[in-house]
Amino acid sequence: MNHPLLRTTDLEVGHLNGKPAKKVVASGLNLDLLEGEFVCLVGPNGAGKSTLLRSMTGLLPVLGGEIEISGKKLAQFTRKELAYQISVVLTSPIEVGAMSVKELVAMGRFPFTGLFDRMSEKDWQIVHQALQMVGIEGFEERLIHKLSDGERQKVMIARALAQEPRILVLDEPTAYLDLPGRVSVMNLMRELSSEHGKTVLTSTHDLDLAMRSADRFWLMSAGGEIIQGAPEDLVLSGDFQRIFARDKVSFDSQNGHFSVANKGEEFVSLHGEGDARVWTERALQRIGFQVLDQIEADAPLRIDIEEDEKDVFWVVNDKSSSQRFVSLADLTSYLRLFKNQDTLNSD
Amino acid sequence: MMQQDQLKSKPQAIKGSRLWLFALLFFLLLVVVGLNLSYGSVKIPLGDILKMLTGQEGVKESWAYIIQNYRLPKIATAILAGIALSASGLQMQTMFRNPLADPFILGINSGASLGVALAIMGASLAGGLFVPALNAAGGLGLILAASIGAGLVMGLILLVGKRVNNPTSLLILGLMFGHATSALVSLLIYFSAPEKVKAYNIWSYGAFSGVTWEQLHLFFPVILVALGILFFLPKGLNGLLLGEDYAKTMGLNVDRLRLLILLSASILSGTVTAFCGPIGFIGVAVPHIARNIFKTSNHKLLIPAVILIGAVVAVTADLIAQLPGSQFVLPINVITSLFGAPFVLWIVLKRKRGAASFNV
Repeated sequence: MNHPLLRTTDLEVGHLNGKPAKKVVASGLNLDLLEGEFVCLVGPNGAGKSTLLRSMTGLLPVLGGEIEISGKKLAQFTRKELAYQISVVLTSPIEVGAMSVKELVAMGRFPFTGLFDRMSEKDWQIVHQALQMVGIEGFEERLIHKLSDGERQKVMIARALAQEPRILVLDEPTAYLDLPGRVSVMNLMRELSSEHGKTVLTSTHDLDLAMRSADRFWLMSAGGEIIQGAPEDLVLSGDFQRIFARDKVSFDSQNGHFSVANKGEEFVSLHGEGDARVWTERALQRIGFQVLDQIEADAPLRIDIEEDEKDVFWVVNDKSSSQRFVSLADLTSYLRLFKNQDTLNSD
Repeated sequence: MMQQDQLKSKPQAIKGSRLWLFALLFFLLLVVVGLNLSYGSVKIPLGDILKMLTGQEGVKESWAYIIQNYRLPKIATAILAGIALSASGLQMQTMFRNPLADPFILGINSGASLGVALAIMGASLAGGLFVPALNAAGGLGLILAASIGAGLVMGLILLVGKRVNNPTSLLILGLMFGHATSALVSLLIYFSAPEKVKAYNIWSYGAFSGVTWEQLHLFFPVILVALGILFFLPKGLNGLLLGEDYAKTMGLNVDRLRLLILLSASILSGTVTAFCGPIGFIGVAVPHIARNIFKTSNHKLLIPAVILIGAVVAVTADLIAQLPGSQFVLPINVITSLFGAPFVLWIVLKRKRGAASFNV
């Protein structure tokens, strides 16, 4: 059941017509992709994610080693045979002009239709199933260029599904999307794998989303090295943090997201609970305060969160005075002022 | 696995409204052909034309002669040329993924011009070596010269185009090819006898009227063969709309496809240029008119659409060139450029307003 659909042995990928005749991007890759799993290829910009995916889909020549798909070497596939195995969704937005959703998704049947692209009843049925799977049935007659970016990307995924591939390969399908679009496309890929048994391999920069969705990561370092594993394992082992390490940015392994390493020098103690506390803490950290629990209330500033039925208030107490704020915007602008004064005084 | 569900879908068919549009265009073609038969230096009433065409007696002999030996072959030529240029332009725009592409703009017709200039003027320079061969072959020599010229430039553009994936660079490239070939043509003109130069100049103004029935025996089948190639390409052209990468992963043989497009488009544009001269703007404008009228970029519809619209536009351009009611006939290139240039400008401005290149 869970045999690898795709396996690479000592794979070397890169470009052939670069300035040095051969430009190797990554080498010694031993990867496998199991049937029905959802794998996210993640790594910093320029690590070579696209190059790897393009090599796997036959769009770039393989420089060394082997790629095996369904037990057969990639080089032995004709374009058409490969189209039965792998279908793709690429990063760049398409420009097809006036074409209906139905017409575009129907292109997924190209490997199955003849010279004149005559669609059988069964072909149309598969097109409809693909549209259903991505959740855009009812859009059939709408024009591609009138859709939102997110909808358009789903149509491209439907087209790839209509090709009935064994593996779906997507190259940063969320790159041009707004946040809701990203969440929705990522969820869709998750569902295709978990509910429809599709094997999905995608590259992405949306690490938060990927971490919550992927069965496994192919974690690619800037040097082109790839570590495979469940996202959580990669965090626990520290590989994830190491590969994404940057100045001033750190991965918060408790919350599972990246944050700006704002090591505040000012301390403030915070009294309050619930959502208001969480978001107050974030606001305070953003402007460079370190938040202390109320137990160790030895800070020069104390903030109390007060709530009635409707509204939230913030009360700031320093040694001499006490002030009340009705929004975090007011609170933070006051505190910024306070902080600057403090720095001036100490100089 | 996928569940089988009952959702039935209607097979994709040409919708009723589109069929109606085709009928309307065909009717329009009949109208402009009728007007073109009737108007000219001599006005011939439509009734007499119908009489003549249906083989009835009682038509003035001189009129019958004009219709048969002048206007009918001219209209047939215009229809063929309009179809060929439009079909060629459509293929170029899809292949280069550029809404402004057409054989003329990419310098392919300049290649044809150079071929023809060499055939007309180069022959004398080479000491009359080719003249007998050209004369013996009749129109074939010119077709060959123009097609070879067009094919060479297009091959060069494709070769470089493989490295430069930027449409703007390609257009500049085409422009530069155009300049280079016109420099060579100027050189030929400089060293040639005035009557040869005049022959070349007349050719370069463009005309549908110089083509005889005999030459049409050659013109027609050549265009038909090139259109025959195009007949097999709608699927591939639709695939190219998504870009070459997508086309490849859908199992299309993109290299072969590109070669077939090159073949069809260069034969179409090269042949028209050989017989009628370098006729501009029809090739770039008609595909856009077709996309606008039919609201589609599906080549299964666009190909028959550009064929019909191309014929209508070319016959209409010829009609206008005669300045109905006067004795003057303007070169066809003057008409296509006068009406075509603002149209192309309009396409560019429309794009600037944020519409994607092929959108209507």
